[in-house]
Amino acid sequence: MQSKIQLNQTQKRHNQWLDNTIKYLLMGFAILSSSFIFIIAGVIMVKGVTPFITNNGGLGRVNLADFLTGTTWLIGESFNSNLYAIGFLIISTLFIAFLSLLISFPVGVLTALFIAKIAPKKLAETLRTVVEMLASIPSIIYGLFGAGIILKIVYDLSTLIGFQSKGGNSILSSVLVLAIMTIPTIASISEVAIRSVDKSIEHGSLALGASKTQTHFKVVLTSAKSGIFTSAILGIGRVLGEATAVSLVAGGRRSGINFNILDTTSTLTTMMLEGMKETTGLDYDIRFSVGIVLMVVILITNFTLNYIKRKVGNVDVK
Amino acid sequence: MLNSRKKKDLILQSITYFASFISLFVLISILLFVFLNGFKLLNMDLITHNFESTSYIADLKDFTGPGDFTIDKDFNDNTYYSSKWGIALTDDENLMGHTIVLVTYVHPESPFKDLRNKGVATQDLSLGIDYEIIRIAFNDGPSALSIQGAQNMIHVLDTKTTFRELEYSTSGGGIRGSIITTLYLIGLTLLIALPIGVGAALYLNEYAPKNRFTKALRNLIETLTGVPSIIYGLMGLALFVPITISLTKATGANLISGALTLAVILMPVIIRTTEESLKVVPDDYRQASLALGGNKTQTTFKIVLPSAFSGILTATLLAIGRIIGESAALVFAVGTAIKDDVSIFDKSTSLSVHIWAMMTDEPANIELSTTIAIIILVIVLSMNLSIKLISKRLLRKYGVTHE
Repeated sequence: MQSKIQLNQTQKRHNQWLDNTIKYLLMGFAILSSSFIFIIAGVIMVKGVTPFITNNGGLGRVNLADFLTGTTWLIGESFNSNLYAIGFLIISTLFIAFLSLLISFPVGVLTALFIAKIAPKKLAETLRTVVEMLASIPSIIYGLFGAGIILKIVYDLSTLIGFQSKGGNSILSSVLVLAIMTIPTIASISEVAIRSVDKSIEHGSLALGASKTQTHFKVVLTSAKSGIFTSAILGIGRVLGEATAVSLVAGGRRSGINFNILDTTSTLTTMMLEGMKETTGLDYDIRFSVGIVLMVVILITNFTLNYIKRKVGNVDVK
Repeated sequence: MLNSRKKKDLILQSITYFASFISLFVLISILLFVFLNGFKLLNMDLITHNFESTSYIADLKDFTGPGDFTIDKDFNDNTYYSSKWGIALTDDENLMGHTIVLVTYVHPESPFKDLRNKGVATQDLSLGIDYEIIRIAFNDGPSALSIQGAQNMIHVLDTKTTFRELEYSTSGGGIRGSIITTLYLIGLTLLIALPIGVGAALYLNEYAPKNRFTKALRNLIETLTGVPSIIYGLMGLALFVPITISLTKATGANLISGALTLAVILMPVIIRTTEESLKVVPDDYRQASLALGGNKTQTTFKIVLPSAFSGILTATLLAIGRIIGESAALVFAVGTAIKDDVSIFDKSTSLSVHIWAMMTDEPANIELSTTIAIIILVIVLSMNLSIKLISKRLLRKYGVTHE
């Protein structure tokens, strides 16, 4: 009897020890995965600040103000200069993001409305699958599609109006590629928002004599606007961060702010991808600086949009 | 109802129809573009061949003279066989679209089986099936070139008793190396990301107390999803590449650093998907296990985790899809060198980056790119459909109906 109790106790202690070990091990995994956001920020900060505070192997420090506002990007090592400026890249990145959202936002939201409320059940199911498939297509294939089809269309279009475009590589091509990439993101998230609109709001509108379409556009969309705004924020995040697909259609512009939508352009991300031959030196480090700027641009955009989202106000939908 | 309102409603409705059919149109045109352009290059050769072709200039070794290699075999109409030399040639197009003369058959005793590398190294060579013959030069008379076609080459060869040199190249343009790299990446990434991700999900759902610390952990993991992949690539370049260089024999960006980077990208996806399926495991299961005397560890790993199997499977499929599709991060973390001999300690390139590398090359190779795109699309879309099926089955299993 005595020994049995003792056995039970050691068993219990062992169990407790095991449970705790496993618990702390799993906790370690959780902490590890959540700490990566700090690791990313730290690593990129350390690397990205180097060009501004060191001598860059005789090229001299990069001037931060010029870097942020200038309009020329020279490949530093080959031109033996420290002249890197990304002001024009920031502007063209935001310009492209804005234009592509101008296309993808209405199309995405209307698609969501159609799938959630208007379409017959079979058609809605099909279109939902279409949107899901579009969302799962890797961005490089969108880029390939852009390079194979959209470039040709844009080139023909610009020839038609008498503009000599560089093989179609242009703002317009980038905008179109990014727009069709973001439509599924916006559509799927907006759809969830539209579905979660309280039925009683809808019924109220119908009871007051509004037609079904009126209800959908005036009541459902406004009630879901917080969720719809979230979809726009995620969409613009995708646009700003997309790299390889845009790099295939942007054309690679190295200087000057350009608002002509048929002319070549560059974004922060495409510039980071360009000329990945170097492994040390200023040319290498400066990519991290561009990375910091990209993150800051994304954060500021998100913050602004979130602010607008709050200003626009919330209709209470749970 | 007022007439004008009816009209207005109709217009509004039709723009929603129009907008949703844009998505359909885009999907159809992407699929059409990819399949129409890429389908003609899609065959087994593409998948099994190396990308780089090697050219050799060879001459005959221990030459005794042409013999009689008459065989009882039928060839296609545009295949020509020389019974004097024991070799069959055909006209073909290579993956780049150039006309070539291809070896379709070599007799086992043919003199072409016994060649010597003409040049510095004394290396034994042997002509094999699917090699491209570029030219055959003779001591007496003009060379037979591949642009003149297979028939001419066989005809010239039949009139000669020896040749001075033979220039040929092994078949290239295939994507074997990139496929192997992609498979390695999938394997390595899952090996790293699955245990950590599933472990973190188990902690968050089964162990973590409801306090601010847990909430902070969740928020931080959630924040990771908003980071663009090119930033992950930079992190891989600055953090994982140096680590792998110092710990392994790697000298630059390598497959391990790429897999680590991908693992970080996939972590939030795996954690969230696993957690979703842990949440639907009924609490009764846990209580029953504990009541029967199982300890917490047994309950978690023997009861809860197996019930979440479909969630983990979904996470794995999602992860594989992302790994195959990822490009920007891998440009930095693995490099863009298209390799045939894949080593996990070396630079290499996955299928997506292969597309990117070829499209940024001058001139861009759209044909081969779309062929690779077909492979990627088929894999990614079929994974997506299976995820749909799995999650439907999971919901049915626990009696949770849709909506």
